[in-house]
Amino acid sequence: MDSRLRAVPPPLHAEREPLRPMLWTIAAFVAGALLNVDRIPLWATAVLIACAAWQLSVAAHKLPALPKPAQLILTFVLVTCVVATFHTLNGLPAGTVLLVVMGSIKLLETRGRRDRYIVIGAALFLLLAACLDRQALARLPLYLGDALLCCTALLVSAYGGAGLEIRVAAKLAARSLLLALPLALVFFLFFPRLPGGFWALPANDDAITGLGESMSPGSISQLTASYDPAFRVRFAGAIPPPQERYWRGPVLHDFDGYTWRRGVVEAYRQPALRYLGEPFRYSVTLVPDANRWWFTLDTVVGSPDKHVFFSYDYDLIAREPVTQLTTYDALSYTHTESSEPLSNFARKIESALPPNRNPRTRELAARLRERAAADPDFVRAVIDFFRTGGFQYSLTPPMLDLDSVDDFLFHTREGFCGHYASAFVALMRAGGVPARVVTGYQGGEWNPIGGYFLIRQSDAHAWAEIWIEGRGWRRVDPTAIVAPERLSRGILDILPNAVSGRTRLLYTTPLLVHLLQGWDALNTAWNERIVKFDVNMQLGILERLGVRSADWTALVAALASGLIGWLAWIAWHIGRSAGPRPADRLARAYARLCRKLARAGIARDAHEGPRDYAARIVRRRPDLAPRAQPLLARYAHLRYGPVGGEVAAAATAAFERMVLRLHVARRPRSTPLRRSKSL
Amino acid sequence: MKRFLRARIASWARRRQGADVLPVTMHYRRIYILPTRAGWGFAFLLFCMFVAGLNYSNSTALFLTFWLAGFVLVGLHRCHRNLLGIALQGATAVPTFAGGAGELELTLENPAPLMRLRIEADLPGVAPSVTDIAPRCAARLSLALPTTVRGRLLIDGLRLTTALPFGLFRAWTWVYLPLELIVYPRARGFFPLPTVAGVTPGAKTRGGSGGDEWLGLRAFRDGDSPHQVAWKAYARGAPLLVKEYCAAAAPERYFDFERLPNLDTERRLEQLAAWIVDAENRGERYALTLPGGKLALDRGAQHRHRCLSALALHGLAPARRAAAIAR
Repeated sequence: MDSRLRAVPPPLHAEREPLRPMLWTIAAFVAGALLNVDRIPLWATAVLIACAAWQLSVAAHKLPALPKPAQLILTFVLVTCVVATFHTLNGLPAGTVLLVVMGSIKLLETRGRRDRYIVIGAALFLLLAACLDRQALARLPLYLGDALLCCTALLVSAYGGAGLEIRVAAKLAARSLLLALPLALVFFLFFPRLPGGFWALPANDDAITGLGESMSPGSISQLTASYDPAFRVRFAGAIPPPQERYWRGPVLHDFDGYTWRRGVVEAYRQPALRYLGEPFRYSVTLVPDANRWWFTLDTVVGSPDKHVFFSYDYDLIAREPVTQLTTYDALSYTHTESSEPLSNFARKIESALPPNRNPRTRELAARLRERAAADPDFVRAVIDFFRTGGFQYSLTPPMLDLDSVDDFLFHTREGFCGHYASAFVALMRAGGVPARVVTGYQGGEWNPIGGYFLIRQSDAHAWAEIWIEGRGWRRVDPTAIVAPERLSRGILDILPNAVSGRTRLLYTTPLLVHLLQGWDALNTAWNERIVKFDVNMQLGILERLGVRSADWTALVAALASGLIGWLAWIAWHIGRSAGPRPADRLARAYARLCRKLARAGIARDAHEGPRDYAARIVRRRPDLAPRAQPLLARYAHLRYGPVGGEVAAAATAAFERMVLRLHVARRPRSTPLRRSKSL
Repeated sequence: MKRFLRARIASWARRRQGADVLPVTMHYRRIYILPTRAGWGFAFLLFCMFVAGLNYSNSTALFLTFWLAGFVLVGLHRCHRNLLGIALQGATAVPTFAGGAGELELTLENPAPLMRLRIEADLPGVAPSVTDIAPRCAARLSLALPTTVRGRLLIDGLRLTTALPFGLFRAWTWVYLPLELIVYPRARGFFPLPTVAGVTPGAKTRGGSGGDEWLGLRAFRDGDSPHQVAWKAYARGAPLLVKEYCAAAAPERYFDFERLPNLDTERRLEQLAAWIVDAENRGERYALTLPGGKLALDRGAQHRHRCLSALALHGLAPARRAAAIAR
């Protein structure tokens, strides 16, 4: 009547949801959502907090669980809300909000381990969404903390029941993450970076507004109030002197009497250039803004990227707005010459003025033109006019009427770079000299820690370019005529009121300036080395490691060897702690002694104490006895005898040394039972 | 299907590992590990994160993904280690009466200086039992085995598992010990105890129970149980001594299978079991006669167990090891 075990029904009493795993799960999810809090609408945050609070009360047995139909209705309503807000469920912003909302509802029905795991998975995905959205160095500690929180929640959730102690759980999770770090580094360095973009990337809509494609009086001074970075430049080799640091951006051709615009970009041929002097090599890292301009030092030689158009006025224009940190290498000359004549088409565009606007300006230009023999003389006369006309450099000039140049030149005589550039180009055109407005940045702050120039929005500038027959386009900066110090010094030195008091304090206190520069250098290194890490840098690392002509097979090899090395290390590292390990030094030395004697052919039995063992050795292996017996007796004395304090420590150390010095010849095992050496 | 697969894999492991002898230490070659459902889910999550990171060419996201992947692998090794090195020091099946729940008591020892989390013992169809084991400590697990009929209950498919620390993997090991649970017949019947056949005068016993009289101490001899040693005296410096008692005079009864003619075999066994339990509770001495053999007059827990086991195994073939292995 042998019988087998039969299935038993599970215990009938319903398991009460344990509190601690629930708490950790909620904490992980809420933290993940909070990382994205500035991108999710307020109502979604409210839903999150309400759901988390409700579930907390349920876990603490204060409130009943929300009934199923109510959950379904809530789900439907909230998804509708997401669709109404974003008009889509795709993409990072809508996806994040959807994840927050669905996760919150899932929280409400979380019962048991499986549900908790799903919520923690959602929390990890929210962390990913935050990483995808922003990779600023300053947010790194938040991401690390959240990762640790999620992993701890995983552990506490897996343990279930009353839950592990917080300290134990967090330590275990942190250690696991630490052990995983080398593998993460190996993969990060050597996993071949495929070119991304399997599906469309969304535009980053919270980018800083940079220079636009038009310029009205006052539009640039709005920019200068912002101390945000525009781009960073690292020179390879020579650095141009301060008065040559003109970073060209949009070139404006079309004037309606008030506003300069880029105009109809019907490309005419670039006039052929002869480059003079030494070139400057540098790399630029653009901070994302909604524009398509890739800024370069003065006259750039060609486009660094096939997706970036090299325009007829030597601008670099990308096809897509710059939505992420973009780095490119460029080569520029600050002196060029062009001997060929300007085409008629180009001359017409670069000399056009609106016919019925700014009459007094035309009049003035005509007067000066009459007196000048040639174009250079006329230019000199206009420059003299600016120098001696009583003009003032100001960030807050009075408003101008629609004939802005007339109003500025003959009435207010107070303006910022845009005013001067606009008026100068208008005068040139009225006098028959082809001219255009160039907007961009001028100067930049040298960061001695990072070794690069930081160009801020407050460095925004506008200047003029005029065509001199036989010499080509020449840069004239009318602002430099009125306020020469503008070129060599920052905006804060010239116009202390340009920025708010707080910013001024930040950027003028020497210690703070150093700290800020250090932080900026760290950020730049993070952006250049980590955020912009790509396949070229991967190959660069391999080449530095000594791999000649590294390609992706070398990457895969490096990856595989790193992986195998890590796996071997981790198996060894984790496995070794599972065996029995004597608790103290004395026990370890004794274990070593016993191992040595076992190798000599007489192993200690599990039940044997040191004295019995010694007695057996005397009986069975008299050859070993003279050496083994004193050691065993000493062990017994140290372990059980009246020894204490420092004497014991010294005696233990002496015993360790004696055991180490003991040499016994290997013998085949005499005991019939095979003993496994380690576990 | 799942149970079938599990049985096939278990028998494959049985052929591979061979039978075990106590103590069973969980070494590398006998620990198996596979991802749990949560583990597969996590893998899918990581894959999604990886694709998203690649698509956005986002270093931080990729690093996070790689890090979590490493974390999972660390979890794999830690899960394996959670079982590694544990020694099963004892496995005892505590008998029960048919219809009751027998117990399988396991003693697990953790020789390593690390905490073992949630070690679970289970048998097919039995509610699992879970314990933590502190560093360098032992823990006891007890599995309740439901029974229906008397006889010999073969216990095989004993498994120690753990999914900790992160629940993404489940490591397990099968233990193939020749374990069986003796299930006594149900103790029930209508007949009163047979009449007293005689009275035994007091006799020297060791150990002793409530009604016994103190006799004195004698020197320890090999084979004496530690329970009978006078430890207090030993602690005061005396040599090892054993306490001796004198049993009180006890009535004697004879239980005979053949003297219950009007019942079928199972009923008779149940009646006999009821008498044995009754007599033992009264502190009487009893003998049992079955068609196949005879147990002489005695009393005490061991005698009771011998008698009830004889009833339990009456008419059954001797244990076949092959039957236990077949599963």
